[in-house]
Amino acid sequence: PSAAATQSKNAILVSNRQKGNPLLKHIRNARWTFADIVPDYVIGQSSCALYISLRYHLLHPDYLYYRIRELQKNFKLRVILCHIDIEDVVKPLHEVTRTSLLHDCTLLCGWSLEECGRYLETIKVFENKPADSIREHTDNDYLSRFTHALTSIRRVNKTDVITLGSSFGSLSRIMDASMEELARCPGIGERKVKRLYDTFHEPFKRVT
Amino acid sequence: MLPFEEQVATDLVEDPNGGLVVLSSGLPLASLVATLLLHLRHQSSSSPSPSSSSSGGGGGGCFLILSAPDTLKDQIRRRLLESQLLQVHDVGPDVPAAQRRALYNSSADGVALFLTPRVLAADLLTSHLHPSRVGALLLLAAHRASDTSSDAFIARLLRQRHLLPVYAFSDRPHAMVAGFAKAERSMKSLYIRRLHLWPRFHVLVAADLERSPPEVVDVRVPMTGPMAGIQAAILDAMDACLKELRRTNKVDVEDLTVDKGLFKSFDEIVRRQLDPIWHTLGKKTKQLVTDLRTLRKLLDYLLRYDAVTYLKYLDTLRVSEGVRSVWILADSSHKIFELAKRRVYQVIRPDGTKVSAINKGTPTKKRKLTHGGSKKGKETENEDSTPSKDDAQKVNALEEVLEEAPKWKVLRELLQEIAEEQRKGDGVVHEDESSESGIVLVACKDERSCLQLQECISKSSQQVMREEWEKYLLGKAELHGLHKKKKKRQSQQPKGFGVLDGEFPAGPSENTGPVSIRNLETDALLAAASGISNLTKEADATDDSVASCMSGSVKGKGKGVSRKVPKRKASNRKTNSSTENENCQGTDVEASGKIDEQSEIDVSKVSAKDASGPSSTAHNAEDLIDAKMLPPVQFYALDSDQHILDTWKPSVIIVYHPDITFVREIEVYKAENPSRKLRVYFLFYEESSEAQKFESSIRRENEAFESLIRQKSLMMIPVDQSGRCLGPTLANEPEPILSQNSLTRNAGGRRPTEKEMQVIVDMREFMSSLPNVLHQKGIRIIPVTLEVGDYVLSPLICVERKSISDLFQSFASGRLYNQVETMIRYYKIPVLLIEFSQDKSFSFQSASEVGDDVSPTNIISKLSLLVLHFPRLRIVWSRSLHATASIFMSLKTNQDEPDETKAMRVGVPSEDGVVEDDVRAENYNTSAIEFLRRLPGVTDSNYRGIMDGCDSLADLALLPVERLAELMGSQRGARTLKEFLDAKCPSMIS
Repeated sequence: PSAAATQSKNAILVSNRQKGNPLLKHIRNARWTFADIVPDYVIGQSSCALYISLRYHLLHPDYLYYRIRELQKNFKLRVILCHIDIEDVVKPLHEVTRTSLLHDCTLLCGWSLEECGRYLETIKVFENKPADSIREHTDNDYLSRFTHALTSIRRVNKTDVITLGSSFGSLSRIMDASMEELARCPGIGERKVKRLYDTFHEPFKRVT
Repeated sequence: MLPFEEQVATDLVEDPNGGLVVLSSGLPLASLVATLLLHLRHQSSSSPSPSSSSSGGGGGGCFLILSAPDTLKDQIRRRLLESQLLQVHDVGPDVPAAQRRALYNSSADGVALFLTPRVLAADLLTSHLHPSRVGALLLLAAHRASDTSSDAFIARLLRQRHLLPVYAFSDRPHAMVAGFAKAERSMKSLYIRRLHLWPRFHVLVAADLERSPPEVVDVRVPMTGPMAGIQAAILDAMDACLKELRRTNKVDVEDLTVDKGLFKSFDEIVRRQLDPIWHTLGKKTKQLVTDLRTLRKLLDYLLRYDAVTYLKYLDTLRVSEGVRSVWILADSSHKIFELAKRRVYQVIRPDGTKVSAINKGTPTKKRKLTHGGSKKGKETENEDSTPSKDDAQKVNALEEVLEEAPKWKVLRELLQEIAEEQRKGDGVVHEDESSESGIVLVACKDERSCLQLQECISKSSQQVMREEWEKYLLGKAELHGLHKKKKKRQSQQPKGFGVLDGEFPAGPSENTGPVSIRNLETDALLAAASGISNLTKEADATDDSVASCMSGSVKGKGKGVSRKVPKRKASNRKTNSSTENENCQGTDVEASGKIDEQSEIDVSKVSAKDASGPSSTAHNAEDLIDAKMLPPVQFYALDSDQHILDTWKPSVIIVYHPDITFVREIEVYKAENPSRKLRVYFLFYEESSEAQKFESSIRRENEAFESLIRQKSLMMIPVDQSGRCLGPTLANEPEPILSQNSLTRNAGGRRPTEKEMQVIVDMREFMSSLPNVLHQKGIRIIPVTLEVGDYVLSPLICVERKSISDLFQSFASGRLYNQVETMIRYYKIPVLLIEFSQDKSFSFQSASEVGDDVSPTNIISKLSLLVLHFPRLRIVWSRSLHATASIFMSLKTNQDEPDETKAMRVGVPSEDGVVEDDVRAENYNTSAIEFLRRLPGVTDSNYRGIMDGCDSLADLALLPVERLAELMGSQRGARTLKEFLDAKCPSMIS
């Protein structure tokens, strides 16, 4: 039983309602298995997806709304996977957009079954992937990382970084510096001193 | 100013709505605008009541001129300065708001302001500029106006509140007929009723320009045989591509003619037709479109570049296009390559037979390159050269052809002829008019041609060709040297200069028996190349120490040359001319910068007086005589778009590359200065695409005008009772969803009297058309500078808008991640709007492009990662601007209106450093968390643990590594972090 559990943990769970959806053919980079679930797809610990084709939406305009209502609040990421399979998209897409936005769902559009399938696969495969590939790149040398960290504090510029570095000698010394010490650095005014000091000395979590 | 301009201006000011003027390119747009401004100025001063809109024209206030390019601005300013009636100011985006305000309001007596649409739109919406202060609006690029353009937005903002004339100009008639009823639609969007057409063939224009026309000499230069052959082959290839394209049944066949294919706008025609279905097209169709562009370039360059440069371009093409292109595999393209080569060199077997079958005799001089002399001496120095090498060299004898461009010779002859005449009539010219400069202006297409022609005149044309040739060979040698290096890394050759000496090709190819023509050619080229590069290395070899390293010798070449020249000169007479060339190459880089300036100022070096120029020592006697005989020459690149005729006042113009706009400029210049003598020479290649292109550009313009004349007679412009133009109609737009859904029971579906909807828009967004379209839908736009997001729809909803290209770009830079992160921090409903363009396909990629695997660089992967990390982010997919606007409106229903001052403060920390409205700020020290997460070793999964285990960053700095490891759950991460924190900062101040 535990083997089955881990297997289902590593696979995309597909609702029985999706049987016969040609999209399933295109899920090849991740395992999937049918399961008795409320959403159409469960693609991770806290993510699920509903599939809708615009053509279907035109025939059953209320379908999406009822499906979303069923979901309740059990998932952090709720994807509406919309297959754009008609030419005149503006009106139906507008409705789908509005419905998903007002009911806390994230809309993703695919123009082919391949693309829709790829979204499911990717979300599954990337489940625990850090966001590095879409974040700003910093060089890995000491100075860039040092600058990157310090400039996260508002109004601290590159000159200030150099001033701080050469006055204190190391980052831990800067983080532990007193207001007075900080104020002694040239170019670091009263407000910047306070901002630096607060960042380092205010607790991470404020006591409420 | 010419008489017809006066007429244009009077016609224009007749209608209080203004008018649209379309004129032939090259007609004096700047002076027309200046004339109109003076007219308006006159009118407003004669009718003192500024509000009397019925009297026609704007009364008082400032005149706004939009989207004028810098060159046009200068010209207009110059014209207006002459009259001194009107102040002119250039209001760039960097002019502070307060100063702009002062400019708008201070000058009661007419001032002309150059503005950018973005600034003006924002100023109108914030009421920094009240529409009643504006006397007239002038638009200088009417062909760009459409109902969503910023020009139209401004016209609407102004006309809503105040009736003022809008004057629009365009000197691109063919752009005015692109698309369905383009002229009519842009007129509607600008509230203009009247269309004024001023083609070159208009009676008044023709009369003015032909009163005292310049003396024109048409010089037809025959192309050389190979040139004609290449041209025919390219046209063949183009025709084949077009036939293929037609077969796809995706494009309107009528537009697809080789004639049209000569113009840049051809791409636009095809792209416009294919864009909506671009993603459904096969690779082949797309490739055909690109191929056509490549072929057009080839055709153009054939007449513009010298033979060697052209061959070099072809070589790079072959490498970069490779197998992808369709045309490159066709028969005709083989012909192109062969003939292009034939213009430069010819490979000869030892028995004297030429290697290639096709050899058309060329009229230019042929010279045989003798490797023997210089080579032999070299070889004795290099004892370790292989015995077979001599044979190899003989096989690969290379005959240089180095065909010169026929126009070069003609140009030189022309200049001599002109000089002759000037000398003869010297006295007469000076008496005639003191301002007669005697300057000869040579107009070329681009800067490159200018520089080369200049060299041709100052040196000899053979020498220019020679230099190009040597550069070409050196490039070849270097390339093969690199190849060689890569291939044979492990077996370092013991000999001195390996490849560059020509040994490399001799090896394998000879042993394997029959040698293909291609190999022979390469061998020959390399041999020739080595001949040249040897000269530069000779000296290196004598004080040889590191010469065994191949790359060293390649590098050494550049530096070594100038240093060693004198030495070699003394020892080896034969190589003299070559070393001279090398010298030139060495200084090429620095020199080109200077030459640039030279072409701007008077090129006195070239003039007759300066015969003892420093460069002349290397020239033979013939050249010197030539140089003496030449008149002062100025070069002008048409692409630079400067208007120089008035400043240089040439007496002779040689149009080296014919261009219709420039022809008109000459005509106007002559008409404005009828007393000045002016002779114009046109240099055409006979039966070339150049001539064809020139003629069809005239034909095309005329056709555009004919079409406009037809359209004008059928135009329907809505007008209200007082004769005001109504502008774009909004009636045919779909009802907003909310009214469709409203119950009929509710007062028969009558629209509730709602208050105006508001959207807060970031200043930077005024580059796009969305604010315009929102305004069209009746939404009030509040422009402010936003720290977070682009649009604020309600206190809860904030939108970051991305066009498709923006989306890709900001994913790549990581900016999108940051933007979404801050948006999520401050707004309950953060929205990413992905906006497609109406006339492009609605999709990222076609199904075939999706691929088999999850690739981290694919847009799907990036979007998936984004939604995984920001599950609260909402995504809106919009088909077009208009779709976006209606989605915005529907999202705003049941939401409060956004608060301007609050939106502006979002994300901007207040005095005490606390960021307002930060949903986390009450509970967390957000700045500390951000700092923490940027530290090495800290990851998305362990930063919470750290926060739990220590109170603040100051605490963290003091924690021992063991404790850190506990908190982070990893020894390695803890060590990385600790090392980083305690690392000694490198001393950064020297």
